[in-house]
Amino acid sequence: MADYSGAVIVGAVETPYTRHPEEGTTTETLLADAFVRALESTGIERGDVDGLGVASFTHTPDRAIDLAWKLGLRPRWLMDDGNGGASGIQLLQHAVRAIQADDASTVVLLSGDHFDRESFRRLVDEYNRTTAEYLAGIPTGGPNVLFAMLTAQQMAKHGLERDDYGRLVVAQRAWAGLNPLAVYRAPLTLQEYLEAPVVAAPLHRLDCVPVVSGADALVVAAEGEGVRIRALRALHNHDGQEGDGLTTGIAELSGPLWQDAGAGPEDMDVVSVYDDYPAMALAQLADLGFAPDGDLPGFLRRRIEEERLPVNTSGGQLSAGQAGCAGGMHGLVEAVTQLLGRAGERQVEDARLAVVTGYGMVLYRYGACANAVVLDAAA
Amino acid sequence: MSLSVFVCAACGRAVFPRRFLCPDCGGGEWREEPVDHGVLEAAAEREVRVGAVRTPLGPLAIARVESDAAQGAEVELDQDGDVPVAR
Repeated sequence: MADYSGAVIVGAVETPYTRHPEEGTTTETLLADAFVRALESTGIERGDVDGLGVASFTHTPDRAIDLAWKLGLRPRWLMDDGNGGASGIQLLQHAVRAIQADDASTVVLLSGDHFDRESFRRLVDEYNRTTAEYLAGIPTGGPNVLFAMLTAQQMAKHGLERDDYGRLVVAQRAWAGLNPLAVYRAPLTLQEYLEAPVVAAPLHRLDCVPVVSGADALVVAAEGEGVRIRALRALHNHDGQEGDGLTTGIAELSGPLWQDAGAGPEDMDVVSVYDDYPAMALAQLADLGFAPDGDLPGFLRRRIEEERLPVNTSGGQLSAGQAGCAGGMHGLVEAVTQLLGRAGERQVEDARLAVVTGYGMVLYRYGACANAVVLDAAA
Repeated sequence: MSLSVFVCAACGRAVFPRRFLCPDCGGGEWREEPVDHGVLEAAAEREVRVGAVRTPLGPLAIARVESDAAQGAEVELDQDGDVPVAR
């Protein structure tokens, strides 16, 4: 069923992301902070919250129920999800169904992670069993080297140069300059992007998301003023990790998504694509149909650099930071914030429709999870 | 000196790394098939040189590359524990 009516996103918040969190900060303090901020921003009473969903890599060994207990909740609906860059839309998908079925009426969705050097290293080396068994021993040292190969292949396939990716990174940094919550806000020139230290050629430092600690929250309710879901589609493990990695599951789901939404890429006022790397942000934009002629360098020049298409208006993860699983909710929080007209200096005028993608879970070569949602500000 | 890829006993489909069920026929029995060479389709360097090597049976293996083989070159395949090694 493609019907996502009967539920409204009434709130979206983010804790300030930080590179170096205060002493005493843990994953659960960040998640609890996001919960409190979500209640404050919506005016919803704690006692009215009857659903809780949590996405995190580092919350373990605790589960959503531990948090429910410590927050003093008595949920009728409870869910854990750890599917990284897809977890935000994944939680939303299930929360709407829970509300439609009256399993819950007011759901808070939380995602967040706290990292120090050791916990990040562990996440990278033990991301999944396949990584631990087949990649950590190489050592690949994390996903950068995998996405360096994918980026080089995308460059060869589409005639892209580093400058082209730089146009997206520089544009996102300009948006970040207007977002007080972004970790990196200083203006960035294309020259500075090109001259950043190499990480794994062709990836340089500004192609790789900065790891931060932080949390995000969404509030979904049966009633209220807010943002509605016109369409939501997911497709995971679309090619068994046996494709070229440059086409995501979004390519297959975008046709039905736009059909359900009764709208197309040209109708979107705000776009959030999962930007772990510029190459993958670009792949998702292409999969959504934003470059129908297939000219990706031309798309970056015209639509991103010249026309300032509102893509990742928070600055995206590349400038705002990637707080683990919260990266999977970050783009949703930004799109909802824009559609609620609460984006401050970076507010996109008359923002009515937004598309948000989720992408992630690198099983062996590239992300296996993909989902997307079209949001509508209509009252 | 070789790398083991996994071939479905029922339909002959090869995979790497191993899966539980064959993506094509759903079979759950595998035999190990040694492959001693492949083609370096992509490479990048971080702590060590890493490559994506296309094996003759089809699957692509992410390998430690212990040579300066160029992209597109044929490489020898070996295995260090579970870890594929290309030279």
